[in-house]
Amino acid sequence: MSDFKLDLGALRRTPKPAADTDIAKVDAAGEARGFVDRSPRGKPGRKKSERTGQVHAKVLPHISEEIANEATRRGVVQGVIIEEAWALYKASQR
Amino acid sequence: MPVVVVASSKGGAGKSTTAVLLGTELAHKGVPVTMLDCDPNRSLSIWADLGTLPENVRALNDVSESSIVKTIKQYDVDGAVVIVDLEGVASRMVSRAISQADLVLIPMRATTLDAKIGAQSLKLIAEEEEAINRKIAHAVVFTMTRAIRSKQQTGIETSLREAGIDIIEPPLMERAAFSALFEFGGNLHSMEKQGNMAAAIENAEAFAMAVYKRLTEALQ
Repeated sequence: MSDFKLDLGALRRTPKPAADTDIAKVDAAGEARGFVDRSPRGKPGRKKSERTGQVHAKVLPHISEEIANEATRRGVVQGVIIEEAWALYKASQR
Repeated sequence: MPVVVVASSKGGAGKSTTAVLLGTELAHKGVPVTMLDCDPNRSLSIWADLGTLPENVRALNDVSESSIVKTIKQYDVDGAVVIVDLEGVASRMVSRAISQADLVLIPMRATTLDAKIGAQSLKLIAEEEEAINRKIAHAVVFTMTRAIRSKQQTGIETSLREAGIDIIEPPLMERAAFSALFEFGGNLHSMEKQGNMAAAIENAEAFAMAVYKRLTEALQ
């Protein structure tokens, strides 16, 4: 077994370029050699809706058509329209 | 804090074994060592979770591509060493870690495939040196070598030396004790006898001394 002695004083920190511009240069040099971003991505696909409750409502045909059209126009699900209507109803009961 | 980055895009080249042997041997000689596990396979963490960590060793994981530079800098103090065990793929994390290295070790088995893939890391270092205008010391370390040197190893060594690439002597030989680190944890000095322990310790110490010598030269 060897018996080498280590000098902790010789282990001195040295400054290294770490500014955003330096890292961008490093990234570019790496990408040119195929060292690309391989960090894990989030789950693919649409996020699960938090709207898991369900109502069982039959309404008049023109009402269902109007609700569907309004939801489409605003880019929301029909449940949002019903939630807003319910909020208005609760407010009117106070 | 001097930073040693262990890099090779090839899996199974001996990166984690190299990192653990270097870290535990330096720590055994009194150097505080922080080991960063940046490999999704978590080989270094598997070793760290087996029993008690040796004195002077701290092992960290949960290092991502976006946090690697910041994490290395966080432990950047005088009188200690950071060892970064990288994933065996060509990724941005590898190129970023190399940019923060005082010394890059490129482990490779003595096979043509390892040498070809190891050459990618050598080219990357050269390009990073140019990009950030900083010399990055680096050396190849042969791993899992046999007592009788193969013709392939001799050929690869000759090619590397002709290209001016530094090769760490001694190589890390194929030893039961080295692979047993990932079965029992700890270091070679605390481990129960696995094969020829004296030879394993001598090999690991001589290797760590050779790396330490290059590291201190790189820091001057």
